[in-house]
Amino acid sequence: MVSTSGVSPLNDARKELLREVSIEAEVSGREKALEETGPARSLLVFYLGAEGFAVDLAHVRKVLRPSRIARVSGAAPEVLGLMNCHGEVLCVLDLRRILSHGVKTAPSAATEEKFVVVIRHAGREAGFLVDSVRDVAELPASSVSPVLDSIDPSRARLFEGTVACCGQFLGLLSPPAVLNP
Amino acid sequence: MTSGSVDLLVVDDGEGFRGYDCRDVVRVEEVEGEPGGYLVRLGRLGSPREVACREILGSVTLSAREIRPVPDVLRERIAGEKPWAVGITGREMYLLY
Repeated sequence: MVSTSGVSPLNDARKELLREVSIEAEVSGREKALEETGPARSLLVFYLGAEGFAVDLAHVRKVLRPSRIARVSGAAPEVLGLMNCHGEVLCVLDLRRILSHGVKTAPSAATEEKFVVVIRHAGREAGFLVDSVRDVAELPASSVSPVLDSIDPSRARLFEGTVACCGQFLGLLSPPAVLNP
Repeated sequence: MTSGSVDLLVVDDGEGFRGYDCRDVVRVEEVEGEPGGYLVRLGRLGSPREVACREILGSVTLSAREIRPVPDVLRERIAGEKPWAVGITGREMYLLY
C-alpha cells in the first residue's frame, strides 16, 4: 500500500527505528568513551626533593604547615612525633623514610617551609611530612599505569600506580599501604 | 586523682615526654655516677616496673578534656610498653603510661 502523501507508514517506522539506533549508538559511544578514559580523578601533587608524588584528593583531609612536633620515645623510625592540630592529636610520619624502606636515612626536619599532608583511609589518619605541595591535577582514571616491575616490591606495594603529570612520572601513593606499618 | 582528672609525674626520657600516674609511683631514685639520670619505680597500681629517664620535669594535672586516645597509626608503631592516652595542653603533649 502506498500512502497518498508520499510518506509511507513503513518509512515512518524505519525513521523511528533509525532514530532509536542512532540514540543507542550515541549512548554506547559515550559509555565506550567512559570505559576508555574512566572517570576523572583529582590528585594532589607533592614533592620530596626533586621526586614527585601524587595522592588521590579523596583521601586528603587537609594540608598543614608543620608546627611543634612532640617526639615519641620507642616509636618506629618513620614516626616524627605528634602534632597538636587544633586540639586533635595528629601522628606525623616521615614519608621519605617510609619510601626508603630498609635504607637508613636521617630523619627529615619538620621546618616551616615544608608541609604536612593529612591522609585518611578507613578511619585511620596520619600526617605525612613532604617538602612541597605543587598542584591539584585532574586526570582520567585510565591515566594511572601499573607500577614498574623494576621497582623493589617492598617499595612498589606503597603505590597504586604511576601517572604522567606535570611533565614527569609521579608515583601515586596507596593510602592504605602508607598508613599501615 | 580527682573525678575527671589525673595527676601525672612528667619525665623526659631523652626522646620525649612521658607522664605516669602519680598514684602508681613508688619511688624516684637518682642514678649515681650519671648526672641527670633518674630511675622511676612504679607499681603501686599494677605490676612493678622501672623506667630510666634523663630528667624529672615535675607534676601536672590533666583534666578529661586534655586527654586524647592514642592514634592507631602511632600505637602500631611503638615497640614495648604502649601508652594508654595522650595528654595535650596548650604548650605540651605527653604520652601517658
